[in-house]
Amino acid sequence: MHWRTRSRLMTALLGTLTVGFLLYQWLPVFTLGLLSFSGPTGGTTFPMNGVSLHWYRELIEASIMNDFKPPFGRSVLLAAACSVVTCVLAVASAQAMRGRFRGHNLFFYLLLLGIMAPGLLVGFGVAIMGRLLGIEPAWNTTAFFVQVSWTLPFGFLVMLAIFNRFDSRLEEAALTLGANRITTFRRITLPIVLPGVIGAALFGFTLSYDEFPRTMFTSGADMTLPLAVMAQLDRELTPELYAIGTATTLLSLVAILACTLILVSLRRTARPGS
Amino acid sequence: MSTIRPRSLPAYLLALPAGLWMFGAVVMPALLILWVSLWGGTAFGPGNPITLANYERFFANASYRGLIANTFLHTLMLMAITGVLGYGIAYFLVMKVRSRAWRTALFLAFIIPFWTSALIRAIAWVPFLGVNGVINQALMGLGITERPIEIFLYSRTGISMAQVSLYTLMASGPVVYMLAQIPPSLREAAMTLKAPPGVVFRRVIFPLTLPGVVIGQVLVFLSVMADFATVQWIGGNKIALLPNLILNFYEGAQLRAAAVVSVVLMACMLVGTFIAMRVVDIRKLGT
Repeated sequence: MHWRTRSRLMTALLGTLTVGFLLYQWLPVFTLGLLSFSGPTGGTTFPMNGVSLHWYRELIEASIMNDFKPPFGRSVLLAAACSVVTCVLAVASAQAMRGRFRGHNLFFYLLLLGIMAPGLLVGFGVAIMGRLLGIEPAWNTTAFFVQVSWTLPFGFLVMLAIFNRFDSRLEEAALTLGANRITTFRRITLPIVLPGVIGAALFGFTLSYDEFPRTMFTSGADMTLPLAVMAQLDRELTPELYAIGTATTLLSLVAILACTLILVSLRRTARPGS
Repeated sequence: MSTIRPRSLPAYLLALPAGLWMFGAVVMPALLILWVSLWGGTAFGPGNPITLANYERFFANASYRGLIANTFLHTLMLMAITGVLGYGIAYFLVMKVRSRAWRTALFLAFIIPFWTSALIRAIAWVPFLGVNGVINQALMGLGITERPIEIFLYSRTGISMAQVSLYTLMASGPVVYMLAQIPPSLREAAMTLKAPPGVVFRRVIFPLTLPGVVIGQVLVFLSVMADFATVQWIGGNKIALLPNLILNFYEGAQLRAAAVVSVVLMACMLVGTFIAMRVVDIRKLGT
């Protein structure tokens, strides 16, 4: 066989593989979305028994047993708090890395460890630590503490990438013109990296909002949304969970879209002096 | 010159909060797990004697030893599937798709689910896998089987199917990155020297992407080894792997046993990562 024919055959094969995998990956998500609109007598699989907003209405008018509103509120608050702390600490640590201090490599690996270490073990360890110190686990104390260790490394990596593309000659110009370092950072550096900071914030928000392995051990009696969903899943799978899943996925998609737009706008503007 | 002087005091001060936070939330807990796993006695507190008895009890149990082997086997299988699949997809996206817009669109379709909740994505598989699930309905509708097949939900098969969809991106992403770094001239040079495409791939392209392959495999390895969630939700309570054992012991208030399993799991993961890193380094020395 001529190599050109073989190459074309390979392209067809790999193309089928790729498209096949994309379908495989997306079909369950679409099915979930479709089934969340099934009728009041619809079950957890096809047939849908009509089309309605019944399961979304159930979410809003829920009884005490499976009321997802308080966990949702907690999750949003917690995610917002993680997002803010992630932003501040990520900018601080990325700026510190630019200062190439002694041990900055170790510091880099310490932060990376937050991504690599399995959430199950981190959560379990923090639960033990809490018990040894006599701290009662709660969603807004211990769970917050452990979640930041998950969201911060991602924000840190984002900020490192942003500072990598950053043109420090702009800072030099400001410093030569007599501005001190703090003013230069506030007036020059921060405005330029701001889109990246917002990206890190959104990143932190969705990561915290979806987090469960760490939170599971550290949230105490008041659950966050993923934990409430898990508890309901242990009792019974209902189309209500599909409705939550669809709503949550849409929320994540909006966040990703915002992130992408920010990165695109960044690419358009931040090409100084080249 | 920048807003921060090299090795100045502010650099240390800026690094301190994040460093302390990560140390307190990740390193300390890991050390505490190690400590608790060595506790003798029965009370919960720092006064316990240090002993290896908990480990002896764990490794004396044949079914626990089997579980370690099972977890490794399951993970290796997932690594093989996602590795081949991920490499194929990465190669197609970078080398075969010519149009920029198509490449971006396909890549986004590939990557977006990764940013949505893993919990929801695992739940989404349940209506597919059940006895009355979509797969069985489709199989019966096409006349391939007459009765529903029960191997999907609550089985290894179902778990693996869901995990493949969850983790292929991890195997693929680093390869995409490495493939995109290869200058086209390298390939052209090899082709000009009359190397057939198979040889170009084997001798030029693949060796250059090997670090990406290994990093992807490490990511899949770490994720699958620690994935208790997919196993629990799709396997029901019928299937358990090592991380599920941690959870079972924890819920049964057997903290020492849970700590022992955690340390075993950590050790497995460290050894696996260490082996993978040696593979990359050896190759780097060779070329």
